[in-house]
Amino acid sequence: MDKSEVDARVRKVIAKVLEIDEAEIQETSNFVFDLGADSQQSVELVAAFEEEFEIEMVEDDALAVQNVGDAVEFIGKIVNK
Amino acid sequence: MTKNIDGIFNPSSVAVVGATRTPGTVPHDIFMNILHSGYKGVVYPVCPRVKALGGVRTYKYIIDIPDPVELAVLVFPSEVCHLAMEQCGQKGVKSCIIISAGFKEVGEKGLERERRVKEIADRYGISIVGPNCLGAINTDPKVCLNASFARKMPAEGSIGFVSQSGALCTAVLDYARGKHIGFSKFVSFGNKMDIDEVDLLYYLGDDPATKVILLYLEEIRDGRGLLGAARSVIDNTGKPILAIKSGRTKEGASAAASHTGSLAGSDEVTDAIFRQAGIMRCRTVEELFNNAIALAYQPRPKSNRVAIITNAGGPGVMAADASIDAGLELAEFSDKTAEALEGSLPKTANTKNPVDVIGDARSDRYHAAIGATLEDEAVAGAMVILTPQSMTDIDDIAREVVATARQHPGKPVYSSFMGEADVASGIDILQRSHIPHYILPESMATAFAASRAFEQRLGVEHVPSEPFADVDRAAAEAVIEKARSEGRTHIGEVEATKVLAAYGLPTLPARLATTADDAAAAAAEIGFPVAMKISSPDVIHKFDVGGVVLDIEDEAAAREAFEHIVSSVKKARLEAKLDGVNVQRMAPPGREVILGLKRDPVFGPVVMFGLGGTFVEVFRDVAFRAAPLGRRDAADMIRETKSYPILTGVRGSAPRDVEALEECLMRLAQLATDLPAVAELDMNPVMVGERGSGAAVADARIMLVKEGGDA
Repeated sequence: MDKSEVDARVRKVIAKVLEIDEAEIQETSNFVFDLGADSQQSVELVAAFEEEFEIEMVEDDALAVQNVGDAVEFIGKIVNK
Repeated sequence: MTKNIDGIFNPSSVAVVGATRTPGTVPHDIFMNILHSGYKGVVYPVCPRVKALGGVRTYKYIIDIPDPVELAVLVFPSEVCHLAMEQCGQKGVKSCIIISAGFKEVGEKGLERERRVKEIADRYGISIVGPNCLGAINTDPKVCLNASFARKMPAEGSIGFVSQSGALCTAVLDYARGKHIGFSKFVSFGNKMDIDEVDLLYYLGDDPATKVILLYLEEIRDGRGLLGAARSVIDNTGKPILAIKSGRTKEGASAAASHTGSLAGSDEVTDAIFRQAGIMRCRTVEELFNNAIALAYQPRPKSNRVAIITNAGGPGVMAADASIDAGLELAEFSDKTAEALEGSLPKTANTKNPVDVIGDARSDRYHAAIGATLEDEAVAGAMVILTPQSMTDIDDIAREVVATARQHPGKPVYSSFMGEADVASGIDILQRSHIPHYILPESMATAFAASRAFEQRLGVEHVPSEPFADVDRAAAEAVIEKARSEGRTHIGEVEATKVLAAYGLPTLPARLATTADDAAAAAAEIGFPVAMKISSPDVIHKFDVGGVVLDIEDEAAAREAFEHIVSSVKKARLEAKLDGVNVQRMAPPGREVILGLKRDPVFGPVVMFGLGGTFVEVFRDVAFRAAPLGRRDAADMIRETKSYPILTGVRGSAPRDVEALEECLMRLAQLATDLPAVAELDMNPVMVGERGSGAAVADARIMLVKEGGDA
């Protein structure tokens, strides 16, 4: 899966879980500081990514990812393994 | 940089950075607490993704707020606090409370986060309370700020509470609310990244709304700062400081190589320094508040003579016993008072102190007894006891206690309505009217004594020490330097004596002998009788290895003593390196005391005094003070020991030269501040002669701080 597809699908998931407009999501957006994810929503995001990409992520590693660009990178690596 | 603490307690505007919509979470509840506490300023929720919170418009970033923000309360997770702090700086915020946990208390990663946030704050000149804290509260009606996640805003009052533990704060607030105790300021400072207890002491010292300051501490980092701040606040403002210091450990004593080191455990030193500073140390929250309400609500007793008024004999006697134990006296009433009591109480009543108004007493008898005793010039204050009997009009008596106390505003009135259910409404009346109430008469007596002790402490002027001009610091440093250059951290008696002599301490003539003949010659030079002691860096307790012979009267005995000492020590400590035998003029007879110093990791150089000799660690009758010492400090620490009466002369023995001891302590304290290389020092024993004849150091040793570390 190429990076642009991962990026588009990651943004779609974020917009849905956090109930925000996709236009508000930047590559540098921090999930907590910029997008307002609380701890519960952070866990929900991890679950939603797993479902969207049909992958399994180590939760602690996934929660350590702080911004959108890094999430795309992180998920891309797992998907293309 | 001057810390902006007023911005924490009196901000005109507050932004809660990282607020959320989820009730029951810290980021949500803190915003709601500020909103609903009646805060007189403007509050802004900074809350990405949410349009409004509690009906208040939110902002995505603090920099989006159109008006100035004085205080930022950060409730974001620790991972993003640096981003929020950067924006706080850009916004011009000067005060910040970081509530979030996940900093140095969780380990290396957290410590790194803390450093990062502090670096940004320093760059922008932002003062910080926290992180990992409950927050801050100001009950001043002009401010009404509850920037915390405590469940309820406390009542307005005159007690300032400063705590390292946030969780304890919530328990304290609940405890205090049940007893109608109010606060002026309330703050938990958590990891004290920036603002600490020292800063807060100075702030509350200057705060007109605060009359009494309470501290809860788990870790003291700046012991000298705390000592200075407490002394300054108490001496300059007359505000009492009460403290609980938890986390007592023995780590400071475990590795000690001297008597002083083993006796000066961290908790003993903390105890002593608190006493030196005038801080009232309490062991429990209950004791803390028992004393605090006495000091906050009632005038301090002008003497230790108390009147006890009771409707039950037993509790009256218990209160009398507790009063005497606490150092109080039962006032002896004047004839006028006795007449007044006899005229208003039944014949069966006891009109002497404790006054027993008898079990069937109603409020009129309490009124008469409290009023008459408080009128008496010999009475400094009253302790009122009630037990609930079938005819006791409890609430009326409570109101009478309040009214009579108000008629005598210069004298304290405390109360103990014993029981629980029947007396509850009476206690409520007393507590709401700021008459300190205690479940037990013993606690009441202890609180009275504590208030009296503070009043007495205020009357004592703290005179700073004047350094002695006759010391030869260079000579002492030369001895230390020589030991250092030879890679030694232990300085034995012979060299230690030179260091002490350089500081004007009363050492005895002595010389090291390396052979039996040399010992005989040395003894003859010094003059008989002499004492002979092993000199070895490996032997600390010389008596234990047969390394001491006393009262040697001639040269033959000196030779014999030399051989005996060397063979005994070799037998007991095969591996010990022997420098020789120290031949010293025999100390004149006197009482044996110990003087010592230790460099405490928190409080710096600490001086010790106690009953000396070989059993010093058994009796542990010692007192400590931080150096330098004034004459008053030295006098206090000598008088603080249980064995002090031995020095003043008991059972026909002559009084000892306590003034000479005081000077020794002051000189030792000067040595401690001048010579940071000295980690521990023992002078044991010091023989104290009769008054006017001075003292003599009979034995001494010094441990040096290891190069680049501790001793």
